[in-house]
Amino acid sequence: MVSKKELKRVEEYLWEIPQDHRSDMRVPARIYADDALLEAALQDRSIEQLINTACLPGVVKYAVAMPDIHQGYGPPIGGVAAMDVNGGVISPGAVGYDINCGVRLLRSNMEADQLKPLMDELMTSLYNQVPSGVGKGGDIRLSGRDTDNVLEEGAAWAVAKGYGTKDDLEHCEERGALAAAQASAVSPKAKKRGSNQLGTLGAGNHFVEIGEVVEIYDQHTAEKFGMFLGQAVLWVHSGSRGLGHQVCSDYVRKLQSAVVKYGIRLPDRELVCAPVDSPEGREYMAAMAGAANYAWANRQLLMHRAREVLQAILAPRFKNVSFKLVYDIAHNIAKVEEFVINGRPMKVVVHRKGATRSFGPGNPVLPQDYREVGQPVLVPGDMGTASYLLVGTEEATEKSFASTCHGAGRVLSRRAATRKMRGEEVQRRLEAEGITVRGPWKGLAEEAPHAYKDIDRVVNVVHKAGLARKVARMVPLGVMKG
Amino acid sequence: MTPRFEQLEHTADLALRIYGRDMRKLFANAAYAMFSQLAAVTRLGHTTERIVKAQGTDFESLLVNWLNELLYLHETEGEVYSAFSIDELSPESLAATVYGAPCEEIYTIIKAATYHDLRISKTGEGFVATIVFDV
Repeated sequence: MVSKKELKRVEEYLWEIPQDHRSDMRVPARIYADDALLEAALQDRSIEQLINTACLPGVVKYAVAMPDIHQGYGPPIGGVAAMDVNGGVISPGAVGYDINCGVRLLRSNMEADQLKPLMDELMTSLYNQVPSGVGKGGDIRLSGRDTDNVLEEGAAWAVAKGYGTKDDLEHCEERGALAAAQASAVSPKAKKRGSNQLGTLGAGNHFVEIGEVVEIYDQHTAEKFGMFLGQAVLWVHSGSRGLGHQVCSDYVRKLQSAVVKYGIRLPDRELVCAPVDSPEGREYMAAMAGAANYAWANRQLLMHRAREVLQAILAPRFKNVSFKLVYDIAHNIAKVEEFVINGRPMKVVVHRKGATRSFGPGNPVLPQDYREVGQPVLVPGDMGTASYLLVGTEEATEKSFASTCHGAGRVLSRRAATRKMRGEEVQRRLEAEGITVRGPWKGLAEEAPHAYKDIDRVVNVVHKAGLARKVARMVPLGVMKG
Repeated sequence: MTPRFEQLEHTADLALRIYGRDMRKLFANAAYAMFSQLAAVTRLGHTTERIVKAQGTDFESLLVNWLNELLYLHETEGEVYSAFSIDELSPESLAATVYGAPCEEIYTIIKAATYHDLRISKTGEGFVATIVFDV
């Protein structure tokens, strides 16, 4: 375990472990945190995992951890590492098993107060009609050709089938598809796992949530994103389901021999990797991009279903109800982006594992309507506290490869959370606070608010450190867990 | 008597320590431990039987690949397995017969067995392995 003495404070919210801390480190490791969050990170092995990440071939500048850092496998959750495309590596373990796990936020034209009397009905309908839960398939069965199209087209596949609009695509990171995807790089096993899971939420920390905007920090940017005080919003959190899990398992297995072939020494086998510019590296990139596209299609379908459910209840009562996509972001992904490293532009593969892209104003990849202010950054919290809409900054480009935090970050293991409070009690307490909850007892116990770090504190750090700026704070009114 | 497995603390995921008096038993107990996290394995009948094969580069990678093969079968067939006969085992390959039943009451999703901190050690009583699962 790393002790606080071994860390150097670089700025108020930035700590560094110098490269000479361990002989196999190729760059320093940096952690964005305040004192309390740093103490929390020092309680488990997350910082050791960050140091391991700083040992990967071709890693540039520093391995970075966000304030929601916690122990994972391979790199920590909340870790960011960028590798030079020339001579650097790409690592499936540094993306994770739930490839393109991500979140989308929808704004409505409704006041939350209008929805509050209907929360029981709304949440029950969402729970009954949005496919969720362990081992549950959805309504969509994909043929082999359909699966290939989903892998290569992403959210656009769903929109072409009538599940959503072109405007939805404009407001997704990468417009909901990575062009690098090749269906042929995804194994038949992965495709089989994905064949009946498209449009399903899954379980664990995935959720659909109705929330209320309770605070606006930046009026101009909030207006650009279509947000207002008292507004009802909808969140969807899910990923690439069994298909993504299988793609990661397949390539972690395949690349065990690639590291031998390319003579790569690793501190942890889960960091297995291959040169970006190698047949193995290119094949993983093509497969990962396919799984990412599956996840974008999945969230598109989930959102479409949720919108239909809400419309069915609200349209008879209110005029012109609309739920529009603010943005969709990935928080487990690897992408080729360009940064200035040591004074010269360099193409790197940025691995974000439990971290969110955070592009500042003016970036040409952003949708036209947001380009002036920057990219919306979505940071969902636990189901009892709050969630944030932030906006990306120019500073983040230099500081964190344009990345910021992705959530509150766990502090209690699932088992410890379950021991502390049963699901029934979690539900009772949340309902006493006015939050309508639907989900299995076990899931509710594991995902209880006390299992997570303080989201306000986490967001405060990224705001003050300049990795993103606060735009709006939302609180949950109703949550469904898979 | 040494237990078949025990659960270790892990902030975000699931870590299990597996015991086996020999390598075959270790592999069987690892599979049992994993499925015991997914469903009520003690109440499960043995109505289906499947042949499972896995390859690896050493016993450690073979162990992970074996567990991931079982997760794939579990998810695509909707079955849970609770008895495992390791018929052939070398550091590079395994053949097993697994017994279980269709099961709808699943507690949780295990996304995968990982290679993180993966180690098989020899002890006085046999072998011990620690496996971290992504859940």
